[in-house]
Amino acid sequence: MHIFKPALILVFLIGISACKKKDSNTYEVVDTSSYGDNLNKDKSKSNIEFHSILSTNLFQKPSSINELSRTDRVMQSCGDKSLINEVIISNYMNSANVKLPSRKMMTDSTERFIEETFIRFFIRRPTEAEKTWFTNFINANKSNPNFRPELVYTAFAASDEYMFY
Amino acid sequence: MKRREFVIKSATLAAGGMVLPYILPSGRLFARTNAPKADHVVFVMFGGGLRQQDSILQRYLADSQGYNVEGNILYNMLEGAAPASKIAYGIAPSGQPNGSQPIPKILSQSLQKQGTIFQEMRAISGGHYGGWNSLITGSRVEGQGLKVRPMNPTIFEYARRFGGYKATDVWFIGNTISNSIPLLNSSKHPDFGLQYGANFFAPGITFGGDGYAALSNAKIYHPQEELEPVYKMKNFLDNTFNIKKGDMPGIRNTDDEKTQIKEFIANTFQRQSSGLLPMPPVSGGDGSTIGYAAEVLRVFKPKLLVVNLSNIDGCHSNFTGYLQAMHRADHAMGFLWNYIQTQIPEMSGKTIMTFVPECGRNLQHNPIQDENDWYGYDHGDSNSLRVFGGMVGQNVPSNLLVGNETNPVGKVTDMALTIADILGFKDEVKAAGLVDFESMSLFDRI
Repeated sequence: MHIFKPALILVFLIGISACKKKDSNTYEVVDTSSYGDNLNKDKSKSNIEFHSILSTNLFQKPSSINELSRTDRVMQSCGDKSLINEVIISNYMNSANVKLPSRKMMTDSTERFIEETFIRFFIRRPTEAEKTWFTNFINANKSNPNFRPELVYTAFAASDEYMFY
Repeated sequence: MKRREFVIKSATLAAGGMVLPYILPSGRLFARTNAPKADHVVFVMFGGGLRQQDSILQRYLADSQGYNVEGNILYNMLEGAAPASKIAYGIAPSGQPNGSQPIPKILSQSLQKQGTIFQEMRAISGGHYGGWNSLITGSRVEGQGLKVRPMNPTIFEYARRFGGYKATDVWFIGNTISNSIPLLNSSKHPDFGLQYGANFFAPGITFGGDGYAALSNAKIYHPQEELEPVYKMKNFLDNTFNIKKGDMPGIRNTDDEKTQIKEFIANTFQRQSSGLLPMPPVSGGDGSTIGYAAEVLRVFKPKLLVVNLSNIDGCHSNFTGYLQAMHRADHAMGFLWNYIQTQIPEMSGKTIMTFVPECGRNLQHNPIQDENDWYGYDHGDSNSLRVFGGMVGQNVPSNLLVGNETNPVGKVTDMALTIADILGFKDEVKAAGLVDFESMSLFDRI
């Protein structure tokens, strides 16, 4: 019994010295997701990369390798890449499986629609200038019944920035 | 204002007033330097490697397979009687031997009778890509590798920069997307490049099975209510991104031109399914490429269209197929010239068509034999540098033969200056200093 007394005291002392009061520092910084900007996008997507990403963005599922190879050949067969992309995009838009937000969502929650579209296509948030321009543009086209999310998606998918990463 | 100051300001204003009206939309200061010879040029790269002995020299099997049979199998292009025996260059009606039926002549007068033939020209390269490069750029960069755009400006870029043409005025129709053909519509020269490049289609892909699956179901958007907002948003995004000139992945058409080309693509699929496309009577392969070139001519009436043929290159392993491909290419050429003259009034009588292959073929055969036990021919020796060419149309002397076996006249690098001469900017192309220094317009060779 006499042997255990100093040992117990030693364990007690180690326990006290090992325990430390946890400092809880709060810096009042809001948690936020990190997205890049368009300044460093200087690498051109290959035809296959472009259409693989595009079909994932539009259909929420990847294309088959056969479809990607076929699209690659078609893109090579046309001199104006931007033009042929637009035709391919509008071909996709004719598919029943394309997943688009509703027109109501675009007009009622314009800011959210713009933000989600930028993140979906450009992997970045819009700048204030971009947000303002698109908000104004969408509001100005509210009376045009043909103006719908499909056209906004087409413009983003056909843009220069979307061809780079 | 002092008198001296007044005189200087007046002189400056007067000089500015004289110069400014001459600044063209293309950025050129002056109008064309030589009078155009025609409004439109169609250049057929009649290629794939055409052996001089079997084509212009009309020796058929005599100089290739050891049979004493001579004759002309290019009778839309050249004068001369067809071979009398060993007929294998035609089509194959069912139940009859392969190639036993020659294709009827289309033109009432051969291109030789209507125009000028350069019987013995010189190629720069015994290979395809070097040859195409020399035809398209007029320069001597025969060592350039594949998968790279030409180093020197193409005739398309000269035409758009010095002629002030828009993108839909200048077309390159390729027969394939292999062998770097799609890269020939523009160079990577820093002073020219994609901003002056030509529109390009490889119809076998664009309007073939691949293109049908990827393009034929495209929506046709309303130009004002749908396309206009799309282009406004796209242009805003593009201005924000500000792509650098050297990063452009392809040529650029204006929004209006894009709309026009989209309609062309949609209409071509429709006309294809209705059998309305202008195809040569015997079509397929190079013949189809020519048919789609004719459709581009019909719709866009371009100032310059270049079309590439290459089925003839099957000669590496199939001499019989090579003879048939030559004969079909001649048939397609006859069809194209006839179509321009009879079906496109805006171009009839105002067009010059030129043709030359990118290279010839070897003197000696390789060991590969075809179904007739005829030997194949590769290309790369000095005989491969022997080619013939020609031109026909407005302001071209008719029934004229220039040069012969012992007196070669003309080089494949002449084609760029010839086209520039026809369209009226030859001196500017020369002044740019990027074409073969020995090259001349074929008109100046006559």
